[in-house]
Amino acid sequence: MRPSWAASGDSVTESPEAVTRPGTFARAWAKAVSGTSYLPMTQAQLEALLHRLTGQLAGALLAEPFDLRTGHRVGAELVAAHIASAEGLGRTVEVIQLRLVRDLGLVAEDVEDRMARLLAAVATGYARALRDRTLDEQESIRRAAMMARTQAERALRASEARFRHQATHDPLTGLPNRTLFTERLTAALNEPGRGAQRVGVCFLDLDRFKVVNDSLGHQVGDRLLTTVAERLRQTLGEHLVARLGGDEFVILVEDAAGTDAVVEVAESALAAVRTPAVVDGHELQVTASIGIVERRVAGASPSDLMRAADSTLHWAKSAGGARWALYDAERNRRELARYALSAAIPAALERGEFYLDYQPLTSLRDGRLLGVEALVRWRHPELGVLRPDSFIALAEETGLIVQLGGWVLAEACREAEAWSAGGVEAPFVSVNLAVRQVHRPGLVQEVRALLRQTGLPPERLQLEITESTMMSSAKEPVRALRVLADLGVRIAIDDFGTGYSNLAYLRDLPVTELKVAGEFVAGLRSPAVGRTDERILASLVSLAHALDLTVTAEGVETAGQAERLRAIGCDAAQGWHFGRPAPADRILARIR
Amino acid sequence: MQRPDWAPDTIDIERPSVARMYDYYLGGSHNFAADRAAAQAMVAAVPEAPLMAQANRAFLRRAVHHLAEAGVRQFLDIGSGIPTVGNVHEIAQRIDPESRVVYVDVDPVAVAHSREILAGNDRAVVVQEDLRHPERILAHPDVRKLLDLSQPVAVMIVAVLHFVSDDDRPAELLRALRDALAPGSYLVLSQVSDDGRSGDERAEAERVYRRTDSPLWIRNRAELTALFDGFELVDPGVVWVPQWRPDTPESAEDAERAAFMGGVGRLGD
Repeated sequence: MRPSWAASGDSVTESPEAVTRPGTFARAWAKAVSGTSYLPMTQAQLEALLHRLTGQLAGALLAEPFDLRTGHRVGAELVAAHIASAEGLGRTVEVIQLRLVRDLGLVAEDVEDRMARLLAAVATGYARALRDRTLDEQESIRRAAMMARTQAERALRASEARFRHQATHDPLTGLPNRTLFTERLTAALNEPGRGAQRVGVCFLDLDRFKVVNDSLGHQVGDRLLTTVAERLRQTLGEHLVARLGGDEFVILVEDAAGTDAVVEVAESALAAVRTPAVVDGHELQVTASIGIVERRVAGASPSDLMRAADSTLHWAKSAGGARWALYDAERNRRELARYALSAAIPAALERGEFYLDYQPLTSLRDGRLLGVEALVRWRHPELGVLRPDSFIALAEETGLIVQLGGWVLAEACREAEAWSAGGVEAPFVSVNLAVRQVHRPGLVQEVRALLRQTGLPPERLQLEITESTMMSSAKEPVRALRVLADLGVRIAIDDFGTGYSNLAYLRDLPVTELKVAGEFVAGLRSPAVGRTDERILASLVSLAHALDLTVTAEGVETAGQAERLRAIGCDAAQGWHFGRPAPADRILARIR
Repeated sequence: MQRPDWAPDTIDIERPSVARMYDYYLGGSHNFAADRAAAQAMVAAVPEAPLMAQANRAFLRRAVHHLAEAGVRQFLDIGSGIPTVGNVHEIAQRIDPESRVVYVDVDPVAVAHSREILAGNDRAVVVQEDLRHPERILAHPDVRKLLDLSQPVAVMIVAVLHFVSDDDRPAELLRALRDALAPGSYLVLSQVSDDGRSGDERAEAERVYRRTDSPLWIRNRAELTALFDGFELVDPGVVWVPQWRPDTPESAEDAERAAFMGGVGRLGD
């Protein structure tokens, strides 16, 4: 007899007998597969599942005709319920074979034969499902690994891009930095195939930016830089704007249409900077200077271009700022030569390439030689004899003037001491002191030591300082000069009347003499201008005399000038009319 | 050029991953040859390894079920691994579909896989982070978006703390998490324990896991209990995982073979 529950296939009837017997089997089955793999359910849920499958198996065993598909389905359902392992299948086969027919009291003629076919079908269905599941899971984990890898690579690329961005951009303004600029410039120069014939570079530097930083603080300074950067970026959109550092920016004009086009770019940059900016409540109006280089791409190198733009920027700066300057090869060549010259000064001093000439300072009253001005000469091995105007300014810029001026002073003292040997009244020697020399501590000791070493009497040394030397408010130079004057050294103001001409320092300084600049004297030649100059000279003379100072006129070239100066009451004169600069012995020969 | 520390790691499937080894123990096929080789070596040393993993997974199931029944609707599963079967969100959302679950794992493949599984479920999300950085987990935008920390949260640290060495100060990590939780929150903790096991087995297991990126750090009951500092242990306390509220009395037999100890603690008001 067929049990009543078997007829319904996969549902369990309420018959107590039927519930008990398949229930016994299902419990045994559940126990067999427990622990073969992780089952995400309670024991009761597992038993309920297997109970349902038991009904299907029993039904299949007795059904006419025998249908393999039930076995396949049961196998697949087991796997779907995660009873999905080799052990799970083995134990399932075992428990069905041993207990299903017995526990359920099933009766059929060919039950053994049917059992074998049913087990084969369950195993087949199970293996198929397990294989599919394994393949699905393998596919899904591979997909996950691939996704993770793609993500990691994307993150790596993003981090590299970020890293590259950091390496090529300025963190403050977000503008490209020097690295990126150099790359782009190099590319522009190396790829003429892109059609670009000419290239322009504008070096931009804010004027007196340090003042903003110093007076308003770095935060305001930084915000100002950010503002300027943003404006440049907006104004010069199509051209690369980079920040090189500090308040230095640079603009690359690729495929420049010519010098005028690049100048136009520079002018819009200047205008963009000039617009007042409100930063932290401060209205700031800054200006900028720009150095422009524009040239053919062919044969240009990035470093040459950058260097040229940088030095051109300095021309704009030294012309007062708030302007652009255009690179000029000739000017650059001269500057380079000057630079090379100044760099050669220390070695030239060591090799003894400098020597002194002297120019007479003659009394207008009796024609006597009162003194001589020491003038340094450089016997350059390649350039021949150089006059001071070709290297003194440089030496002042670079600070080498201290070393060079020290040598001149020492040499002048040493030579002048010897002039008194003939028993004649020897002239004093007048030596120019540069601003830096006067402001340097130790001037007094230096002069004292020189006088002691050479034996030159102090009153035979005259130090010539310029008005600008006294423009600083520093007290130390005045004190030093006073000590020197007290020693007996003469102090003369050189080029008087052309510079600062603040008479106040005449009150404080122990000045002995004023040397009136040559341009007043030059005016004495032409009667028209001469009138005014003569009056100026006359008042200077009377002023000097009133202060108990002597006056020496410089640049006297004619007897007429000398005569008029004498008439005014000028004490002494210097110039070609009285003698050109010459070696000491030649000058001295005239008085011996 | 030194690679900055925010540069990502690469994915190396030639190196065993503890998440995929765990999947293998559970009977899954979400694993690669290197994972299977390492897992088989582990099984050779500790034959019960699959059983241990299954028992631990069953503990997770019962604990989540228990907490969901107790009214917890937010879960933070740290060290969630490869989502296979019986995941936290499946259990919790069957009880209340509104339950929200955040998975956290450090393994990028496990995270990618989780993301695929969770696609379309707007109340479950996965975050790639490390248990050793609780502050980053808590601050993660996805965590903040899905979980309301002013309401109770169940923090699950199941089968992962044995990959955290004492040098990483697990007590401090747990304290950081605890301090962010509202009263009524829970901590579910389980890990490999060696109470009553042979030293050889332990040494062998440790040797296997040294091949992975996550060496084993085994702790005993007292150490594990101490980590519940600040929480009130829910009955039956820290036990071998099969003993924690078993479905049937039989399933708690031979519980020490599971080698996992665990417990659930509640944060008092």
